[in-house]
Amino acid sequence: MSDLIKKDESAAGHAQCMLNRRQFLMYTGTTAAAVSTISLNLFPGEAQAKARVVGYPRQHIGKLSQLKENIPLDFNYPDENRNSQCFVVKMDGAKAGGGVGPQRDVVAFSYLCTHQGGFMNGKYQAVGEHRVLGQCPLHLSTYDLTRHGIIVSGQAYQSIPQVLLELDGDDIYAVGVMGLLFGRNQNLMESQES
Amino acid sequence: MSSKYYLPEDKAPLPPVNAEVLTTCCDYCIVACGYKVYRWPVGTADGGPQAHENALKVSFPSGPLQAWVAPTQHNVVMHDGRPHNVVILPDKEAQAVNLTGDSSIRGGCIAQKVYNPNKPTRDRLMSPMIRINGTLQPVSWDMALDVATEVMKHVVEKHGANAYGMKTYLYQYIENTYAISKFALRHMNTANFAFHDTPSDVTSTPGFRDAGFENFAPSYQDWAAAETLLIAGTDPYETKTILFNQFIKPAIDAGQKTVWLNVRETAGIAYAKSRGNALFLQIDPGTDTPVLGAILRVILENGWEDKEWIEKWVNNQWASDSGFGQGTRNTPWQWRTTWGQFQTKGFEDYKQWNLAQKEYDPKEAAKIANIDPTDIYKAAEMLAKPKADGSRVKASFAIEKGFYWSNNTGNTNAVATLATVCGAGGRPGQMVGRLGGHQRGYQSGGAYPRNKSPQKHAGRRRQSMDCDRYFYAGHTRFAHVIGTTWIQAMCGSAGLNAKFEEQVTNNPHQVRSFDKQEIIDTLKARADSGGTVVLNQEIYLRDPIGSRFADIVLPAATWGESDFIRANGERRIRLYSKFYDAPGDAKPDWWIMAELGKRMGFDGFDWKDANQVCEESSRFSRTGPKAYHMLKVAAHAEGKTLHEKLRELGTTGIQGPTFYNYKTGELLGSKRLHDTTLTPEQMEAEGRSMATNMVNKKGTHFNSQSGKVNIQKHPWSLFSDYWEWMKPKGDELWHTNGRINEVWQSGFDDVDRRAYIAQRWPENWTEIHPDDAAARGIESGDQLMLYSERVPNLRQSIKAQDDTDFSFASRLKNGWIELNKAAVTAVAIVTPHVKKGTLYSYYLNTNQPSNALQGRVPDQISGNYSFKMGVARVKKIGESKYKSEFRSMSFAPRNIV
Ligand code: SF4
Ligand code: FES
Repeated sequence: MSDLIKKDESAAGHAQCMLNRRQFLMYTGTTAAAVSTISLNLFPGEAQAKARVVGYPRQHIGKLSQLKENIPLDFNYPDENRNSQCFVVKMDGAKAGGGVGPQRDVVAFSYLCTHQGGFMNGKYQAVGEHRVLGQCPLHLSTYDLTRHGIIVSGQAYQSIPQVLLELDGDDIYAVGVMGLLFGRNQNLMESQES
Repeated sequence: MSSKYYLPEDKAPLPPVNAEVLTTCCDYCIVACGYKVYRWPVGTADGGPQAHENALKVSFPSGPLQAWVAPTQHNVVMHDGRPHNVVILPDKEAQAVNLTGDSSIRGGCIAQKVYNPNKPTRDRLMSPMIRINGTLQPVSWDMALDVATEVMKHVVEKHGANAYGMKTYLYQYIENTYAISKFALRHMNTANFAFHDTPSDVTSTPGFRDAGFENFAPSYQDWAAAETLLIAGTDPYETKTILFNQFIKPAIDAGQKTVWLNVRETAGIAYAKSRGNALFLQIDPGTDTPVLGAILRVILENGWEDKEWIEKWVNNQWASDSGFGQGTRNTPWQWRTTWGQFQTKGFEDYKQWNLAQKEYDPKEAAKIANIDPTDIYKAAEMLAKPKADGSRVKASFAIEKGFYWSNNTGNTNAVATLATVCGAGGRPGQMVGRLGGHQRGYQSGGAYPRNKSPQKHAGRRRQSMDCDRYFYAGHTRFAHVIGTTWIQAMCGSAGLNAKFEEQVTNNPHQVRSFDKQEIIDTLKARADSGGTVVLNQEIYLRDPIGSRFADIVLPAATWGESDFIRANGERRIRLYSKFYDAPGDAKPDWWIMAELGKRMGFDGFDWKDANQVCEESSRFSRTGPKAYHMLKVAAHAEGKTLHEKLRELGTTGIQGPTFYNYKTGELLGSKRLHDTTLTPEQMEAEGRSMATNMVNKKGTHFNSQSGKVNIQKHPWSLFSDYWEWMKPKGDELWHTNGRINEVWQSGFDDVDRRAYIAQRWPENWTEIHPDDAAARGIESGDQLMLYSERVPNLRQSIKAQDDTDFSFASRLKNGWIELNKAAVTAVAIVTPHVKKGTLYSYYLNTNQPSNALQGRVPDQISGNYSFKMGVARVKKIGESKYKSEFRSMSFAPRNIV
């Protein structure tokens, strides 16, 4: 509350809000082992963390120039197996945490509600300055897509998983996932890892 | 990971096939969803993704509504001194309450609640402490208990029992509350006793009690079976989530009509509206009584009342009279009803009265409530207009705090009468009740000594003591505070805080010695000098009651750390299993009370375990709505303990009152109370009347002198002077406060200790309508100052000569009301879902307690606070960091469908 200085538009302030790839890798790194079947949450290990990060594929999911404002484009990530339904959307200038593109308004998320797996296809909504996913058809959860998918109102056990994006010229790549996809015990299924 | 900052994880362990499984229920809201705890030692293998490789018997990735483990549902605890994994999931096999294994965001993340030194719960209290030289320092249990009891004894001997005051939670398990109240009421016998949510020991719903309704008579199926459901002062999607998701939402989907009275449109209301069969009366704060009175007027004028029901179940003049103002009994009911303002001679008398009140003209009522008058007619039709074939609509009536904490007596009287006129109260799908707040975990171990309360108005019965006012007056020399912040939880909290400083911190008698006797002598001297000694039992150190004021702090063990029992909002009783070791030296409150009791020299405090406390308490429950005595009878017949028997019943438990069929050995529950469809023959046939079974009037009739309903008046004038005075003047706005879905009855963990939730709601906030915001240059994310120079506070005790002296207007005139200043900061959320002209804040952020703005004037009849009533001016003082970052909070409205 003592922070009365407006710093919204400063580059430093902006960078703080946007997860870059390095920070994201750090996030993933602090969780547990990828391959081991033993819980190590009390003793996270560096070595496993590295193994983990390597696992996410860098996948081309579309071109920025193809995206229409507020129309989601569907893709699967991090693999083609169950519960990989995701979408990328350009949110018509609404700047977002983790957003890429000149307006920082291109984001990607899982479609599966992290409450009990409600499928939220068709639930992307632009309401005034707000960009939300929801209400989930099962129990009405709503997520704020400008804020890393945090719950607006509802019952989910975590934010809606955000797919980390990289922009290379006009090409959009998915490079990781923040948060556990509904229904999975790990985002990278063992069969996927080598 | 120990950060309070939410770091999303992308993996969670699955419980292995051989994980131990224990049942419990959610610790949080009234619904009490059933849970399973899966436990396995750290270092042994987790379960695998194939169904045969894990204890959930599901293959991963799992599908919608199938079992899944979110990272927030796993934790590591100590069990028998060894680290164990626990995964805590809503019970997928639940046969009651959270069918399909549903849960809210609160319970869904409950695994984060347990003590883990690597997580934000690491600051659990682990050792008894005494404040020496201004610092709370760890001491032995013996030392802390000896000091506490020596000072208590002295205070009671020298200053009388009322100088010992207790402020305690009402809900945190039967075993604890029984021990606590046995100590304070039966043995200390103090009238200076109040629960966490009221200043005095009073009913939350005076209108229900006087009409004859139990708060929790309905079953969850009743709310679903209603054809029209009126919900006032709450959105059960936000608060009571699973009751909404599993019962009310499916009913709405199947065509149930809903009528809502609320100042905000949140997700549940928005959803109901989107289905096309909801009517939303977005009223101004405190105006429910005129609206309900006007709905009643429309029903009466059209002759839509349930004549048969009224004929059979409503007291006529003589039956009413036999219960009103007769005899010398000194009960709260007598106190209120002798008032003479509520009693009727039956339905016709009520009707004449209603028709004569100008504010129950729909136009007038709509003006007061600031709504469209046609909606009042629509509501009356939805609730009571007979169908084309002449049959009645099955209507039910549900209320909660937004309703009963604004105009406590008036509103609860009005809804009791409206329900009765519509034929509700005692039939499937036609019920009236509270939806609830905390779970029902109180079993009294002693009667409140009302005759010791100094609070008495001339010609009236004694009222329960207003403990806040007693404290303000400096009479409380020993304050025993258990599991509540006390200060911020009460209205006008700034004044209470200042008084604590004066009584405790600024008193010259402060402990400066490590010598036990010197400590005792110093604290006795404090009490004798007019100051207050504070004893605090808690799970975390609370600011300020623990961190700044407590002289002695005792660490409590809680959910999962002892076996406990408790009932939910449909009286369903379950065992909450112990599944891990309490942190450090923390002990359950029943144990602490036992040690205090023994040292005080009281009999009957030598319990060895929680079950013994529970079994001792059971016979006192027999007349209550969650009577569990017959559980013990059944258990003993089978050679088991009460806890063992209840453990067998798992997450299904049993609905009180319980019955035992001695012939068949069957244990029977009660689906609803006041069930007028049950006959004595049926009861007998089921074995409900044999031997020690107690067939209480409330099972098949109502809780009144005659077993029928008292139909009561609900005069607006008892409250309207306060309301008119309070009404925003100049650039003021109404200021009301309340709960939010993501943090509800879980604030004691969530706000500070769950990164995911703390990130969503990092600090106090206020919702403001776009028009009000624009007029003040306020945008979402701005830092606001909410302030008022007219927070009314009732001063000390009063003596009165006639009825009108209790009214707010005469209190004001006679100098009993003091106007205080208060200010609270908050982050602005500009949203159309809150009513124009009204601010809605979070009710209890301990750092920014919005209750400071709410008037400290208890309801003149019931003694409850009008927590929801306040006004504030608001100005922007800057911008919060949430305005420009993307991590925390969200400013999206809660009514996007
Ligand atoms: S908070 Fe209430 S609705 Fe949520 S899981 Fe717990 S008991 Fe169920
Ligand atoms: S599955 Fe989406 S809210 Fe329950």
